[in-house]
Amino acid sequence: MRGARQVALYGVVALVLLWTLVPLVWMVLSSFKSPDDLVSSTPRLLFAPTFEHYIGLFTGGNALGGYIKNSLIAAGASTLIAVVLGCLAGYGLARSRFRGKHHVSMWIISTRMAPIAAVILPLYAVFRALDLLNTTPGLIIAYLTFNLPFAIWIMNAFFADLPVALEEAAMVDGASRFGAFWRVALPLTAPGIVTTGILCLVFSWNDYAFAQSFAGPGSQTLPVAASQLITQTGINWGQLMAIGTIVVLPMVIVGLAVRRYLVKGLTLGAVTGE
Amino acid sequence: MSTANPGGGKGGARRLVPSFEARMLLPALLLLAAISLFPFFYIIYMSFNEVSLIGGVDFEWVGLENWVEMFTDPNVRNSWITSGVYFIATVGLEMVLGIGIALLVHELVWGKNLVLSMLLLPMFVAPVIVGLLGRFLVDSTYGLYAWFLESTGLITWEILGSKTSALMAVILMDVWEWTPLITLIVLAGLSSMPQTVLEAAKVDGANYFQRLRHMVAPLISGVVVVALLIRSMDAIRYYDIISVTTNGGPADATKVIPIRLYETAFRFQELGYAAAIGLGMLAFSILVANLFMRILRGQERAR
Repeated sequence: MRGARQVALYGVVALVLLWTLVPLVWMVLSSFKSPDDLVSSTPRLLFAPTFEHYIGLFTGGNALGGYIKNSLIAAGASTLIAVVLGCLAGYGLARSRFRGKHHVSMWIISTRMAPIAAVILPLYAVFRALDLLNTTPGLIIAYLTFNLPFAIWIMNAFFADLPVALEEAAMVDGASRFGAFWRVALPLTAPGIVTTGILCLVFSWNDYAFAQSFAGPGSQTLPVAASQLITQTGINWGQLMAIGTIVVLPMVIVGLAVRRYLVKGLTLGAVTGE
Repeated sequence: MSTANPGGGKGGARRLVPSFEARMLLPALLLLAAISLFPFFYIIYMSFNEVSLIGGVDFEWVGLENWVEMFTDPNVRNSWITSGVYFIATVGLEMVLGIGIALLVHELVWGKNLVLSMLLLPMFVAPVIVGLLGRFLVDSTYGLYAWFLESTGLITWEILGSKTSALMAVILMDVWEWTPLITLIVLAGLSSMPQTVLEAAKVDGANYFQRLRHMVAPLISGVVVVALLIRSMDAIRYYDIISVTTNGGPADATKVIPIRLYETAFRFQELGYAAAIGLGMLAFSILVANLFMRILRGQERAR
């Protein structure tokens, strides 16, 4: 009886896994298929793998290397700025009690949740006036509109979980206020900092809307490069699946690396996991 | 219990301590003000103007014209309705499936961690790639799913070319990506339940569904609400999937409000009008953020 129930359970879970994994597996497989294998009337599971799509992406006039560099710089810089400022401000927020703190929190969280389309509009006009369109700094600023409030908010949640007594003890031992933060609180929230950094990186690396609106030929990022493979004359599905694999793989790896803290990060600190 | 003053014993530190927190907060908040408050007032100003992008940015005051237009424009109204349908369908399906899958995974005896890791993968995929991959899978010549649906006789037409199936397709792409988030959150709630109470109920003869209804449901309801709010906020935030699959079509069947806004601003160059639409969206997300804050404050009080 109990055995039968478990078998049924694993059967249903297997179906869920199939629904989840088939698209991803198919993407990776397709990126190694020759054009003939891609277009075959019945889908092919067995085929002679080819690297032609990857080779095609990295050679030629519009090689992918430049896009990857732009993506890394834009996502990396905005993550770095957000995490550094987020640690300072998150700590400041967690340890202070002042009138109107609620309003500051509300402001931060609303900024994080603002619809991207509604953010793009004023930023586009401002960037145009300031000559920031088609530049990497413009993109970094755009990514900060969601990464900075996110980092402040999450670091605040991580610091709030830390007992103040530890910092008080350090200060009794002669540490300065900043020393207590730097040498006691900060190391203890290391997992929080890593989680915040990784989630900021994932959000900005995966961005399409901002880059598509603000970035130009010299600053264009990887997700936009992927969408540009769809043209009036046809779609190079093989190359598209190869770019997809390149975009997705690193994020899956870093994302799963902080799985324990994902719940806290993704619920903005409202739920603590595992 | 004030935490603002951990060094209170040391005389003069008392007055200096609050300013330390302020100094920590200030750089981030100044930057945040520059990139959030300034654009916020700017978009409000835009909504009362006709904005032209010819040679820099040019404003012409038109008063409430954009706002009147927004409330009377049947196209915008239809987009709100489409957004509503899309929102209810995606978030609804994600909640039902996410909770169901979490209950299943929670019961697994072995391989629980591995299964969860695999289930989470879609969350890390860039939404634009989800859209492009979805388009590949339902492509009538190349697509694996299109082939499957056609050979079983379920759908024999171009999936993204027909109104109902196109809407269903973009909804399912969103469901594929974000159901794992609900599963993850609900699982966190399930694993923090007091096991002894559940075991006792089991010993007393309560069956699975009785336990589910009378014990599990009340215990995880808080977590479920958080999951719902988090998903609601993101559901109106992103529009990447629709943007690269149907871009609103066919015949406006998937033209949700952010797609309409984008088209109004950048294709028809009516930035002032788009600003009014954008503020409508913003009002919704601020409402959800408000609910979220209330829940967090409730948690703090309970602690």
